[in-house]
Amino acid sequence: MSDLLKFSVPGKPEYVSMVRMAVSCIANNAGFDVEAIEDIKVAVSEACTNALCHGTRQAGCYEVFCELEAGRISISVVDQAGGYDVNAYRAPELDCPREGGLGIYIIKALMDEVAIVTELGVGTQIKMVKYCNCR
Amino acid sequence: MLLKIERSFDEAKNHWNVKVQGEADISNAPEFRQALNAIYQEKAADIWIFLQDLLYMDSTGLGVIIGACGRMRSTGHEIVLCNPRDNVKKLLSITNLDRILHIENTEN
Repeated sequence: MSDLLKFSVPGKPEYVSMVRMAVSCIANNAGFDVEAIEDIKVAVSEACTNALCHGTRQAGCYEVFCELEAGRISISVVDQAGGYDVNAYRAPELDCPREGGLGIYIIKALMDEVAIVTELGVGTQIKMVKYCNCR
Repeated sequence: MLLKIERSFDEAKNHWNVKVQGEADISNAPEFRQALNAIYQEKAADIWIFLQDLLYMDSTGLGVIIGACGRMRSTGHEIVLCNPRDNVKKLLSITNLDRILHIENTEN
Protein backbone atom coordinates (compact mmCIF):
# COMPACT_ATOMS: atom_id res chain seq x y z
CA MET A 1 0.00 0.00 0.00
CA SER A 2 1.46 3.37 -0.95
CA ASP A 3 0.39 6.98 -0.61
CA LEU A 4 0.73 9.25 -3.61
CA LEU A 5 0.92 13.03 -3.47
CA LYS A 6 0.79 15.09 -6.67
CA PHE A 7 1.83 18.66 -7.23
CA SER A 8 1.42 20.74 -10.32
CA VAL A 9 4.04 23.47 -10.23
CA PRO A 10 4.19 26.63 -12.34
CA GLY A 11 7.39 26.79 -14.37
CA LYS A 12 8.83 29.67 -12.40
CA PRO A 13 12.04 29.58 -10.35
CA GLU A 14 10.41 30.99 -7.22
CA TYR A 15 8.32 27.83 -6.74
CA VAL A 16 11.27 25.43 -6.54
CA SER A 17 11.80 26.28 -2.86
CA MET A 18 8.16 25.45 -2.15
CA VAL A 19 8.47 22.02 -3.75
CA ARG A 20 11.64 21.51 -1.71
CA MET A 21 9.85 22.45 1.52
CA ALA A 22 6.82 20.27 0.78
CA VAL A 23 8.93 17.22 -0.06
CA SER A 24 11.12 17.70 3.00
CA CYS A 25 7.99 17.78 5.20
CA ILE A 26 6.79 14.55 3.61
CA ALA A 27 10.19 12.87 4.09
CA ASN A 28 10.37 14.12 7.67
CA ASN A 29 6.92 12.71 8.42
CA ALA A 30 7.95 9.41 6.90
CA GLY A 31 10.83 9.19 9.37
CA PHE A 32 13.87 9.98 7.21
CA ASP A 33 16.85 11.35 9.12
CA VAL A 34 18.18 14.88 8.71
CA GLU A 35 20.95 13.94 6.27
CA ALA A 36 18.58 11.94 4.06
CA ILE A 37 16.09 14.82 4.06
CA GLU A 38 18.84 17.21 2.96
CA ASP A 39 19.79 14.79 0.17
CA ILE A 40 16.17 14.56 -0.97
CA LYS A 41 15.76 18.36 -0.88
CA VAL A 42 18.79 18.91 -3.10
CA ALA A 43 17.87 16.10 -5.51
CA VAL A 44 14.28 17.33 -5.93
CA SER A 45 15.45 20.91 -6.45
CA GLU A 46 17.95 19.74 -9.05
CA ALA A 47 15.20 17.88 -10.91
CA CYS A 48 12.90 20.94 -10.79
CA THR A 49 15.76 23.18 -11.93
CA ASN A 50 16.36 20.74 -14.76
CA ALA A 51 12.69 20.96 -15.79
CA LEU A 52 12.89 24.76 -15.78
CA CYS A 53 16.16 24.90 -17.69
CA HIS A 54 14.83 22.61 -20.40
CA GLY A 55 11.98 24.88 -21.27
CA THR A 56 9.15 24.52 -18.76
CA ARG A 57 9.35 28.29 -18.23
CA GLN A 58 7.65 28.62 -21.58
CA ALA A 59 5.64 25.41 -21.38
CA GLY A 60 3.64 26.25 -18.25
CA CYS A 61 3.66 23.69 -15.47
CA TYR A 62 5.55 20.58 -14.49
CA GLU A 63 4.37 17.82 -12.17
CA VAL A 64 5.94 16.40 -9.04
CA PHE A 65 4.74 12.99 -7.82
CA CYS A 66 5.72 11.82 -4.41
CA GLU A 67 5.03 8.20 -3.53
CA LEU A 68 5.48 6.87 -0.04
CA GLU A 69 5.81 3.19 0.68
CA ALA A 70 7.16 1.33 3.67
CA GLY A 71 10.82 2.29 3.95
CA ARG A 72 11.10 4.33 0.79
CA ILE A 73 10.13 7.54 -0.92
CA SER A 74 9.91 7.79 -4.67
CA ILE A 75 9.77 11.20 -6.32
CA SER A 76 9.15 11.88 -9.98
CA VAL A 77 9.53 15.25 -11.65
CA VAL A 78 7.78 15.24 -14.99
CA ASP A 79 7.87 18.04 -17.52
CA GLN A 80 6.31 18.47 -20.94
CA ALA A 81 9.09 20.72 -22.15
CA GLY A 82 10.06 18.79 -25.24
CA GLY A 83 12.78 16.51 -23.89
CA TYR A 84 16.40 16.56 -24.94
CA ASP A 85 18.89 14.39 -26.74
CA VAL A 86 20.33 12.00 -24.14
CA ASN A 87 23.26 11.25 -26.42
CA ALA A 88 24.28 14.86 -26.16
CA TYR A 89 24.48 14.65 -22.36
CA ARG A 90 28.01 14.71 -21.09
CA ALA A 91 28.91 13.89 -17.52
CA PRO A 92 30.65 16.84 -15.87
CA GLU A 93 34.43 16.97 -15.83
CA LEU A 94 35.02 17.32 -12.13
CA ASP A 95 38.60 18.48 -12.55
CA CYS A 96 37.44 21.32 -14.73
CA PRO A 97 33.96 22.27 -13.56
CA ARG A 98 31.68 24.43 -15.62
CA GLU A 99 28.91 26.67 -14.46
CA GLY A 100 26.12 24.24 -15.42
CA GLY A 101 25.68 20.53 -15.90
CA LEU A 102 26.13 19.28 -12.35
CA GLY A 103 22.43 18.71 -11.58
CA ILE A 104 21.98 15.14 -12.84
CA TYR A 105 25.35 14.14 -11.45
CA ILE A 106 24.31 15.42 -8.00
CA ILE A 107 20.92 13.65 -8.13
CA LYS A 108 22.65 10.36 -8.92
CA ALA A 109 25.11 10.87 -6.09
CA LEU A 110 22.46 11.64 -3.48
CA MET A 111 19.63 9.23 -4.29
CA ASP A 112 19.63 5.42 -4.17
CA GLU A 113 17.93 4.87 -7.54
CA VAL A 114 17.59 7.32 -10.42
CA ALA A 115 15.90 6.80 -13.75
CA ILE A 116 15.73 9.48 -16.42
CA VAL A 117 13.37 9.05 -19.32
CA THR A 118 13.34 11.75 -21.94
CA GLU A 119 11.44 11.73 -25.17
CA LEU A 120 12.29 14.29 -27.82
CA GLY A 121 9.25 16.37 -28.67
CA VAL A 122 7.46 15.35 -25.47
CA GLY A 123 9.26 15.83 -22.19
CA THR A 124 11.42 14.42 -19.45
CA GLN A 125 10.77 12.39 -16.35
CA ILE A 126 13.31 12.10 -13.56
CA LYS A 127 12.36 9.41 -11.07
CA MET A 128 14.39 9.03 -7.92
CA VAL A 129 14.12 6.77 -4.92
CA LYS A 130 15.56 7.04 -1.44
CA TYR A 131 15.40 4.18 1.07
CA CYS A 132 15.07 4.65 4.78
CA ASN A 133 15.60 2.21 7.61
CA CYS A 134 12.89 3.96 9.55
CA ARG A 135 9.61 2.41 10.71
CA MET B 1 13.32 32.26 -0.73
CA LEU B 2 15.43 35.22 0.01
CA LEU B 3 19.19 35.23 -0.28
CA LYS B 4 20.71 38.06 1.70
CA ILE B 5 24.16 39.16 0.65
CA GLU B 6 26.28 41.47 2.81
CA ARG B 7 29.67 42.69 1.73
CA SER B 8 32.56 44.63 3.12
CA PHE B 9 36.15 45.12 2.11
CA ASP B 10 38.84 44.13 4.59
CA GLU B 11 41.60 46.69 3.95
CA ALA B 12 44.06 44.97 6.30
CA LYS B 13 43.74 41.61 4.60
CA ASN B 14 43.04 43.08 1.18
CA HIS B 15 40.08 40.89 0.37
CA TRP B 16 36.31 41.09 0.17
CA ASN B 17 34.17 39.55 2.88
CA VAL B 18 30.81 38.42 1.56
CA LYS B 19 28.30 36.99 3.96
CA VAL B 20 25.41 35.04 2.45
CA GLN B 21 22.30 34.17 4.39
CA GLY B 22 19.28 32.09 3.42
CA GLU B 23 19.00 29.66 0.51
CA ALA B 24 20.83 29.78 -2.82
CA ASP B 25 18.89 28.18 -5.65
CA ILE B 26 17.65 28.87 -9.19
CA SER B 27 15.35 31.67 -7.98
CA ASN B 28 18.19 33.88 -6.81
CA ALA B 29 21.18 32.63 -8.82
CA PRO B 30 21.05 35.67 -11.17
CA GLU B 31 21.23 38.09 -8.20
CA PHE B 32 24.02 36.08 -6.60
CA ARG B 33 25.98 36.11 -9.87
CA GLN B 34 25.42 39.81 -10.34
CA ALA B 35 26.44 40.58 -6.75
CA LEU B 36 29.75 38.72 -7.10
CA ASN B 37 30.42 40.37 -10.48
CA ALA B 38 29.66 43.84 -9.12
CA ILE B 39 31.92 43.33 -6.12
CA TYR B 40 34.79 42.16 -8.27
CA GLN B 41 34.32 44.96 -10.76
CA GLU B 42 34.37 47.51 -7.95
CA LYS B 43 37.69 46.20 -6.71
CA ALA B 44 39.52 43.20 -8.09
CA ALA B 45 40.61 41.19 -5.05
CA ASP B 46 40.06 37.78 -3.50
CA ILE B 47 36.52 37.17 -2.28
CA TRP B 48 35.93 35.32 0.98
CA ILE B 49 32.38 34.01 1.06
CA PHE B 50 31.08 33.25 4.54
CA LEU B 51 28.60 30.39 4.41
CA GLN B 52 27.72 29.71 8.04
CA ASP B 53 24.25 31.20 7.59
CA LEU B 54 23.64 29.66 4.18
CA LEU B 55 21.05 27.01 4.99
CA TYR B 56 20.75 25.52 1.54
CA MET B 57 22.61 25.50 -1.76
CA ASP B 58 22.33 23.39 -4.90
CA SER B 59 24.10 23.23 -8.26
CA THR B 60 22.78 26.63 -9.31
CA GLY B 61 24.53 28.32 -6.37
CA LEU B 62 27.63 26.21 -6.96
CA GLY B 63 27.50 27.23 -10.61
CA VAL B 64 27.58 30.90 -9.67
CA ILE B 65 30.66 30.32 -7.51
CA ILE B 66 32.39 28.19 -10.17
CA GLY B 67 31.68 30.85 -12.82
CA ALA B 68 32.97 33.71 -10.69
CA CYS B 69 35.99 31.67 -9.72
CA GLY B 70 36.85 31.00 -13.36
CA ARG B 71 36.59 34.67 -14.28
CA MET B 72 38.69 35.74 -11.28
CA ARG B 73 41.41 33.14 -11.78
CA SER B 74 42.35 34.66 -15.12
CA THR B 75 43.28 37.83 -13.21
CA GLY B 76 45.01 36.01 -10.39
CA HIS B 77 42.37 36.09 -7.68
CA GLU B 78 40.43 33.38 -5.89
CA ILE B 79 37.27 32.68 -3.98
CA VAL B 80 37.58 31.28 -0.47
CA LEU B 81 34.58 29.49 0.99
CA CYS B 82 34.36 29.84 4.76
CA ASN B 83 32.45 27.75 7.29
CA PRO B 84 30.08 25.78 5.07
CA ARG B 85 27.38 23.82 6.91
CA ASP B 86 27.39 20.02 6.68
CA ASN B 87 24.84 19.92 3.83
CA VAL B 88 26.86 22.39 1.76
CA LYS B 89 30.09 20.57 2.64
CA LYS B 90 28.57 17.35 1.33
CA LEU B 91 27.64 19.03 -1.94
CA LEU B 92 31.20 20.37 -2.31
CA SER B 93 32.55 16.92 -1.56
CA ILE B 94 30.42 14.88 -3.99
CA THR B 95 31.19 17.32 -6.80
CA ASN B 96 34.92 17.26 -5.90
CA LEU B 97 34.83 21.04 -5.63
CA ASP B 98 36.37 20.76 -2.16
CA ARG B 99 39.58 19.81 -3.98
CA ILE B 100 39.43 22.68 -6.42
CA LEU B 101 38.06 25.51 -4.30
CA HIS B 102 39.77 26.91 -1.26
CA ILE B 103 37.72 26.10 1.86
CA GLU B 104 38.48 27.61 5.27
CA ASN B 105 37.05 27.08 8.70
CA THR B 106 37.33 30.37 10.56
CA GLU B 107 34.87 29.58 13.34
CA ASN B 108 36.11 27.88 16.45
